[in-house]
Amino acid sequence: MRGSRPAPATPELEATSRTPVPAAGASSADAAWRLVEEGFDLAREHEIESLFTISNGYIGVRGSLAEGSAFSAPAAFIAGIFGRRPAPDAMPERVAAPDPLRLRIAVEGEELRLDRGKALEHRRVFDLKRGLLWREWRHRTPAGRVTRIRELRLASLADRHLLLQALELEPVNYSGRIEVVAWIERPESAAPHASPLPALRPVPPDPADEGDHTPPRLALRAEGSGAVVAYAVKSELRPADGPGVAPEVETRPGRVAERWTFTARLGSRYRLTRVVAVRTSRDAEEPAEAAAAHLARTGPGDAGRIVREHVEAWRERWRAADVEVDGDPSAQRALRFACHHLIGAANPDDERVSISARLLTGGIYKGHVFWDVEIYMLPFYIHTHPPTARALLMYRYHTLPAAREKARALGWRGALYAWESTDTGEEATPRAVLAPDGVLVPIRNGEQEDHISAAVAYAVWQYWRATGDVRFLLDAGAEILLETARFWASRGEWGEDGRYHIRHVIGPDEYHEDVDDSAYTNLMAQWNLERALEAAGLLRERWPGRWRELERRLGIEPEELRAWDDVAAAMYTGFDPRTGLFEQFRGYHDLEDVDPAEYASGAGPADILLGRERTRRSKVIKQADVVLLLYLLWDRFPPEVREANFRYYEPRCAHGSSLSPSIHALVAARLGDMALAMRYFRQAAEIDLANNMGNAAGGVHAAALGGLWQAAVFGFGGLRFTDGGPELEPRLPPGWRALRFPIQWRGQNYCMDTDEARKGEEAEP
Amino acid sequence: MKIESVVVPLDGTLPALAAVPVANALADTVGATLHLLHVCERPRRQAALLRSLGLSPEEMEGFVLDQRTGRPAQGILRYAGELRHPTVVICTHTGMEKPRGAIGSVAEEVILGAHCPVVLVQPERGLEPWALRRILLPHDGTPATTAAMDPAGDLAELTGAEVLVVYVAAPGEPAPTEPGSFAAPRYLDQPQHEWPAWASEFISRMSALGHPTSEVQLTLLMAAGDPGEQIVRVSREHESDLVVLAWHGSWEPRRAATMKRVIREAHCPVLLVRAARPRRGE
Repeated sequence: MRGSRPAPATPELEATSRTPVPAAGASSADAAWRLVEEGFDLAREHEIESLFTISNGYIGVRGSLAEGSAFSAPAAFIAGIFGRRPAPDAMPERVAAPDPLRLRIAVEGEELRLDRGKALEHRRVFDLKRGLLWREWRHRTPAGRVTRIRELRLASLADRHLLLQALELEPVNYSGRIEVVAWIERPESAAPHASPLPALRPVPPDPADEGDHTPPRLALRAEGSGAVVAYAVKSELRPADGPGVAPEVETRPGRVAERWTFTARLGSRYRLTRVVAVRTSRDAEEPAEAAAAHLARTGPGDAGRIVREHVEAWRERWRAADVEVDGDPSAQRALRFACHHLIGAANPDDERVSISARLLTGGIYKGHVFWDVEIYMLPFYIHTHPPTARALLMYRYHTLPAAREKARALGWRGALYAWESTDTGEEATPRAVLAPDGVLVPIRNGEQEDHISAAVAYAVWQYWRATGDVRFLLDAGAEILLETARFWASRGEWGEDGRYHIRHVIGPDEYHEDVDDSAYTNLMAQWNLERALEAAGLLRERWPGRWRELERRLGIEPEELRAWDDVAAAMYTGFDPRTGLFEQFRGYHDLEDVDPAEYASGAGPADILLGRERTRRSKVIKQADVVLLLYLLWDRFPPEVREANFRYYEPRCAHGSSLSPSIHALVAARLGDMALAMRYFRQAAEIDLANNMGNAAGGVHAAALGGLWQAAVFGFGGLRFTDGGPELEPRLPPGWRALRFPIQWRGQNYCMDTDEARKGEEAEP
Repeated sequence: MKIESVVVPLDGTLPALAAVPVANALADTVGATLHLLHVCERPRRQAALLRSLGLSPEEMEGFVLDQRTGRPAQGILRYAGELRHPTVVICTHTGMEKPRGAIGSVAEEVILGAHCPVVLVQPERGLEPWALRRILLPHDGTPATTAAMDPAGDLAELTGAEVLVVYVAAPGEPAPTEPGSFAAPRYLDQPQHEWPAWASEFISRMSALGHPTSEVQLTLLMAAGDPGEQIVRVSREHESDLVVLAWHGSWEPRRAATMKRVIREAHCPVLLVRAARPRRGE
């Protein structure tokens, strides 16, 4: 069944505002493109800040109130900027950089804050389509003065080093003295979710430097790494009908501030426009100077252009990524929320960073990178923006040395990627955690969760298959495939049964550690070996020069390739043809069968409610494990095997990970169980967007967002790739009239439409 | 929580006197006046009343002795209502025939009718002196409960007591629906990151929404199981001197089960603080 057609010629751009700054509140009309937070709920502020983070893959600035509150956690996160605290065994951690959009406004000495006086009107609107965060606020001070404020902010997708903040202020019922202070300051304490993050210390000015220090700038150095973050800012405050007001600039180590004091007239509007440039030691030798130089080319007078270019950049990305759901506004909004944050999470121009588990929206997870990228997020980029996918895979290529070293240190060959990695690719997984029940829990993922190497190989192959990017395959992808295959061939051991066994691992189900012959790990390893052999054959046939070079450099002998073939053929899978089931790991079927639903609770994870030890001795699983395997290697399994394994493992899954519901939705949809698919889809959609769990307080869940997109596209849409190109086998939930999404495949753009697929099917004789 | 008056109802029985050391220490801590109250059918002369209560004039230094007529619970509530910022400290029961863990009818009626905090004391603790070093603060993660937690913070500031916040994950219990709630993490993708983050977020929410002070030492502990049972267990294991419970005003069997169990089984006094009913979520 086909449901695709080649993409139309580039459509006319919609009309954009020609005003210097779009009129406040002019957000995309369709509610399915907006998140709106009406009023102010202090208890939810951390979540709102995460959800409303403006991000462009280089920098993310949390959606904090400019003036702050009793529960604000303002911060900016810059990709690739790590520090290290001065503690033994301290791991690299991404620093929390200053939020450069802080403002304080005082009217006749009374500071405008939501916890003082009365907010007559307050709302924040996140325009997902255009990547704009709006704030509309009308406030009455204790003295009775009413001020209207509208604020717009963006992290430019067109120029990733630029942030824009535009504020319009209007005294509604008074004339009087207003003071506005805008500042950028080194954080006094760690960002939320502390264990504290590495500190940032002011970079002292060069005593010999007598140069002009306009525009104002601030440079901070991360402890333990020396990485430098620098901001420069150009600001302008002017009334609608008059000349600008000059600021007083205050600088001291760790802080730069601009202060405007003026007498405002009743009914007049005053506009503050700030353009902030951000540079780091990763992209400039002298970041502060580079940031200042960046502003030589742009400033507040260019605000309209900055907005237009930013909006246009978002339009381009949405043209290639928007998933349209006809018939379910809630699902529509959740998918756009997911796609928005995925688009804003990655920088296609930076091959030395990847995406952390909470994107650039929060400090939890310390900026560390997991297999979440390759399995959960990369498909989105592969099919909507291949350059981003390529950059993310190149990160894995650039961190191959660290992966080789990890394997070597553990006595194996090839490449074993770190379970948690940072900029260097070294293993950064903590070794233990003190849980709130007082138990010191050892963390073994860094030692045993080896399936990440196969995940990287899987992503490489999916990218190659989808793009035909020869340059990538030759320069990077083949080497990743070969080295990860080499790892698997060294990792296991031959048993007396003549099978190849991989022991002492953790599969995706992390409730069970130190298991043998994880079906997921073994089959993905088998697949990895097969693809490496396929790649070797391809290179040998089509690019023999490159193959010889790799052979020589990696020391690959023909016997080794034959050994890989033997290992793959003999891999122990745990499959029982009588039942059609894969045993999740050796001995799984002997465990106690506990129904997670008895312990299912919105009030805690299953392993805590059941107890860690009992969970370990039970069949309760943390997340999609064999079910994930069914999806990833779908065509290797006959329909009855997929059905049997899903029906067996799905009821035993406690979904203790946010990575789980979306995969269950996808597989359920493919199997035609629409009620179950929809239940899991909604569960996945609510992980960040529900308002009663606080899940998003530490940042939005990147893998869940990527999984949600996959559930829609590969699950409900039934997207498959054949020799003839992409096709749909849709299984839409009740109420979904149609599903439409763009896909890129081998250099072509396709518009997939389940409605057309249905029409095509109806038209077939 | 402002306390200017501490009211101790005495019915003339020895068990009832168990509330006096707790009330006295509490009044000393907050600088409140201690009121000993007797509600009876017919008023008595003060000397006779003192004797009947087992007290001497010398022991009355710093106390106020009052009596009211009528039904005991109503008399207690009316009296408390006449005072500024009262707190009632009352024994759970005084009838000798009642087993340990009972809640007497007068105590129950006072709990239901009071608009001020009520401290419940088990008569089994006798006249043992009481000092506040450790406060146990069960918390269900809802903003409504946080808003009622000021008393614990205030007392901790005054006494330097440690505050142990305990969150109980109860199997089968649904997540709270009140917007802004913060229950145990539903998803623990990587515990090495999620647990420290959850604990920090929980405490910082409490501090920001409830008692925003950096002077109080707060520790968070999670338990799993029946909430009442776990609160009692933790209070015993950590030698708490006071359990502070937010109470949303319902005495119906299912709704008040945790509170009743804690009152009955805790080894230390229990302070009940009225909390607003949780807002309903979407």
